[in-house]
Amino acid sequence: MAFTHTSPKKDEGVVATAAAPLLFSVLRRVSAWSGLIPFFLFLILFLFIPAISVFSQALHDADGSFGFSAMREAISGQNLDAFIFSLKFSAGAAFVGVVFGGFLAYAAATATRPRWLRNIVSSFSGVAANMGGLPLAFAFLSLLGRQGLGTKILNAFGWDLYAGDFKLGEVSGLITVYSYFNIPLMVLVTLPAIDGLKSSWREACANLGGSAWTYWRRVGLPILAPSLLGGFLLLFANSFSAYATARQLTDNSKIVPLRISFFLGGDISIGEDAVGYSLAAWMIILMGISMAAYWLLRRRAERWSNS
Amino acid sequence: MKQSRSQRALGRLLPTLVLIASAIFFAFPLLAMARFAFQNLQVIDLGWNNLFEKWSFSSITASFSDDFFAEALTLSLKLAVGTALFTLGLLIPTAVWVHLRLPKARVFVEFLTILPYVIPAIALVAGIVVVKPHARWFLNSDYSLIPFYVVLALPFTYRSIDTGLRAIDLKVLVEASRSLGSTWIATLFRVVIPNLRAAIISSTFLTVAVVLGEYTISDVLLKRTFPSFMAQYRQSDPRGGYALAILALLGTTLLFVAIGVLSKSRSTRPQQVSRSQENEILV
Amino acid sequence: MTSLSFTGIRKTFGTTVALESFDLALQPGELVSLLGPSGCGKTTALRIAAGFEIPDTGVVSLGESVITDTPAHRRNMGMVFQSYSLFPNLTVAQNVDFGLRNRKVEKAKRNSRVGEMLELVQLGELGKRYPHQLSGGQQQRVALARALAVQPEVLLLDEPLSALDAKVRSTLRDEIRRIQTELKTTTLFVTHDQDEALAISDRIGVMSNGRLEQLGTPEDVYLRPASPFVARFVGSINELPNSNGVGKILMRPEDITISENENELTMRGTVTRVTFQGPVTIISVRVDINDQLVNVHAASGSIHVQVGDRVSLAVTPGRGIVEAA
Repeated sequence: MAFTHTSPKKDEGVVATAAAPLLFSVLRRVSAWSGLIPFFLFLILFLFIPAISVFSQALHDADGSFGFSAMREAISGQNLDAFIFSLKFSAGAAFVGVVFGGFLAYAAATATRPRWLRNIVSSFSGVAANMGGLPLAFAFLSLLGRQGLGTKILNAFGWDLYAGDFKLGEVSGLITVYSYFNIPLMVLVTLPAIDGLKSSWREACANLGGSAWTYWRRVGLPILAPSLLGGFLLLFANSFSAYATARQLTDNSKIVPLRISFFLGGDISIGEDAVGYSLAAWMIILMGISMAAYWLLRRRAERWSNS
Repeated sequence: MKQSRSQRALGRLLPTLVLIASAIFFAFPLLAMARFAFQNLQVIDLGWNNLFEKWSFSSITASFSDDFFAEALTLSLKLAVGTALFTLGLLIPTAVWVHLRLPKARVFVEFLTILPYVIPAIALVAGIVVVKPHARWFLNSDYSLIPFYVVLALPFTYRSIDTGLRAIDLKVLVEASRSLGSTWIATLFRVVIPNLRAAIISSTFLTVAVVLGEYTISDVLLKRTFPSFMAQYRQSDPRGGYALAILALLGTTLLFVAIGVLSKSRSTRPQQVSRSQENEILV
Repeated sequence: MTSLSFTGIRKTFGTTVALESFDLALQPGELVSLLGPSGCGKTTALRIAAGFEIPDTGVVSLGESVITDTPAHRRNMGMVFQSYSLFPNLTVAQNVDFGLRNRKVEKAKRNSRVGEMLELVQLGELGKRYPHQLSGGQQQRVALARALAVQPEVLLLDEPLSALDAKVRSTLRDEIRRIQTELKTTTLFVTHDQDEALAISDRIGVMSNGRLEQLGTPEDVYLRPASPFVARFVGSINELPNSNGVGKILMRPEDITISENENELTMRGTVTRVTFQGPVTIISVRVDINDQLVNVHAASGSIHVQVGDRVSLAVTPGRGIVEAA
C-alpha cells in the first residue's frame, strides 16, 4: 500500500528523466536554427509579405469579395494572348541564349592565347548580365531602331530591316535585345560547369579509343546537360520577367510585365486592380515552377562535380 | 606532325569565330549609342565624309546642369552604399552561421536565395503597392528602397559570399581564434572578414551595379533615382539620356573589371597547365 | 606482350625543359617505375607515351612500329590516372565497358569481359553503382579494370596511389603488381614514392630535372646508387667527410658500423638520440670531425648506448658514393 502512494511520484521522476535528453536535443536544434532568424525575418518582411499581398489582392471577384474570377480573367482574352506571347518569346530568347552562350562559354573556357581572354569574357558577362534595362534599350534603339546606325548600314548592303515583321518591340526584336543579357548570363552559369569537366575524362576517353565526338556524345554533353537545361530555365525566367528594357522599347502591353504595370498605374477600379494582381500572381506561379526545376537540375549537376 | 598541326588549327577556328562574332555583337550597340550621344549628326545625314565631325561631350555636360541630376545621382549612390552595407551585415553572419552551426541547412538557405527570381521586380513592387497604405511611414522615405534592393541582389551576393567562405577553412580558423581567447565578435572582425576580402568586394560591386541600374521598383514607387532620372531626361533630350546611360555603363564596367582583377590575383587553377596541354592535342 | 621504347625524346614547355634527352626501353611484360620528385619529367614521359603530348624531337616505338605521331585514341594503351578519371555519369560497368564499345565489340562478349575484369579487381557486385558512391580505392580499381578491359599492349599508371589513404595504398599496390604479373602486361608506373617503386618494380628509372639518373633493378638503385641524387632520393643517407679530405661520402645508415668503444673505430662522436624502432634502433651521433649529425642503424639489442655516451663509427668499404665538393 505504501508503494501505491509513492509510485506516482516515482513515475513522474522516471518520465522527467526520460524527457530531459529529448528536451535537450530539441533545444539544441532550436538554438541552432535561431541564428538564421534575422535572415528569415528579413525575407518575410521584404519578400514574402509583398508576394502574399499579391495573391491576397488577386483572389478577388469583381465585386471585391473573395473569389477566383480575377485569376480566371487574368488568363483569358487579351491577357491570355499576353501570356502566350511572353512564353513564346521568352522560350525563344532562352534558346538563343543557351546556344550562343554555351558556345561562347566553351570558347572562353578553352582559350589559351591570349591569357586575359577568359577574364575579359567573364568580367564583361558580369556587367552585361546585370545591365539595367535602360542602357540596353537605348543602345539597341540607336543601333537597330528605325533611325539606327545598324539599320542604315544594313540598308547600304541592300537589306531593309523593317521590310518584314521586324520591330524592336516584337518577338524577333525582343529576342535580339534580350540576348544581350541572356548570353552573358548563360556564360556566367556555364563557365564553372565547363571548368568542372575534368581533363582526365577527356584523356581517359581518348585513351580508350574514343574520338572527340565520342567524348561529347557519351561523357561531356551528358554531364553538362543539367547545367544547360538549368541555364535555359534561368534565362527563360529572366526573359519573362524583364520589365525595364521592354518599357523603353514598346509602350503597348503585349508582354506580361508591361501589362501588370499598365493595370497597376493610373485610374483603375477595384475589379481591374485585382486582374493586375492576378497577372502578377500567375507570373509568380510560372516562375516558381521554372525555378524549382532549375534548382533540381542544379543540385544534380553539383552532385556530379563533387564525385 | 604537319597534319596534326593543321587539324589543331581547324579546331581552333570555330571558337575563334565565336569569340569574334560575340565581340562584334556586344560592341556594336554600345558604339551606336556612343555615336548617337556624342556626335551631333542624324543618321540620315551620316556619310563617310562627315564621319569625324561634330563630336562633342556637350550632351552629357548639359545633363549635369539639370536640376535633378545631382539629386538623382546622390540618391542612387547613397542607396548603393546603404544596400551594400545592409547586404554584408545581413549575409555575412548568416552565411558564417550556416557554415559553422547548421551545415544541413545550407541547401535550404541557397534555395531561399534564388527566390528573388521567383518573385521578380515587377511582382515584388506590385506587392509593395498593396502594402503601401499600411506602411506609408516606411515607404515614404527614399531609403525604404534599400531592403528591396538587397532582395534583388540576393542571388548574386549570397553566392559570392558563400563561395568565399568555402574557399577558406572557416571552422579551423574560427576554432583557432577562439582557442587563443577571442570572442565571437572579435573573431568575426579580425579573422573571418579579412579573409573574405575578395568576396566582400565582389558582392559590394555587384550590389552597386544592381542599384545603379534598377528601374522597375523606383519607377513604380515614384522615387527619383538615377535610372528614373535617365528615363525622364531622355524624354526631353534623347542624346543626353543616352549619354547618361553610357556614363552609368562605364562606371559599372570599371567596377567589374576591378572584380576580375582582384579575383584573378587570388585564384589558383591547378588544372591550368594540363588544360593547355590538352587543348594542344585534343581540340 | 609488347616492348615500349623512348629514343632521344626532348620536350619543352615554353622556356622549361621537361625532358632533355630521354632514352628508355621497356622489355615485354616488365614493370618499370619512373621515380623522382615533382617536375623531374616522369609524368611528361608517361603522357608522351600515351599520346597526350608530342615530343619536340625523338621517337616513341611500340614493338616494331613508331607511334610518335599516332593520335592518342589510336594507340592501344591503357591508362590509369591519379584520380577522378571515371566518367561520373556512367555506372561502374558502363565505365569498364567504355573502351570495348569504342572498339565495336559485340554485346555478349562485352558483358562477359566486363564481368571478368570486375572479378579480377574484386569488385564483382558493384557493377551498377556510380563512381561517387565508391571509395577512392574502389574507384582506382575500377579505373584499372577499365584500362585492362581492352587488353592494351602497354599499361600506363600516373601516380595511381598518391590520392589514397596509406592503408589502401599498400593493398592496392600489391594487387596492381599481382594483376600485372598475371597478365604479363608491359607497364610504365610513375610515382614519387620510393617505397612503392622499390616494392613492385622489375626496374626503376630514377629521374631528376628531365634526365634519367639511373636505370636499374631496385637492388641496384638502392645498394649501388649511380649518383648522389639517387643516393639521397632513394632511402636515407648520411653525409660524411671523405677520407682524403676532398668532398663527401654518402652512406646509408645501415652501412655504418658503431662501437661502444670510443677508440675502436675511425670516427669519434657523441650520442644525441636513441630511437627504438622495433627490429632496428636508430642512433644519432654528432661526429667530432665536423660536428655533423649521423644516423646509424643497429640491430636492436646489439649495442647499448645512452644519450651523451662517446662512441666511434666506421664506414663499410665498397658502399656508399662519393660526392665531389
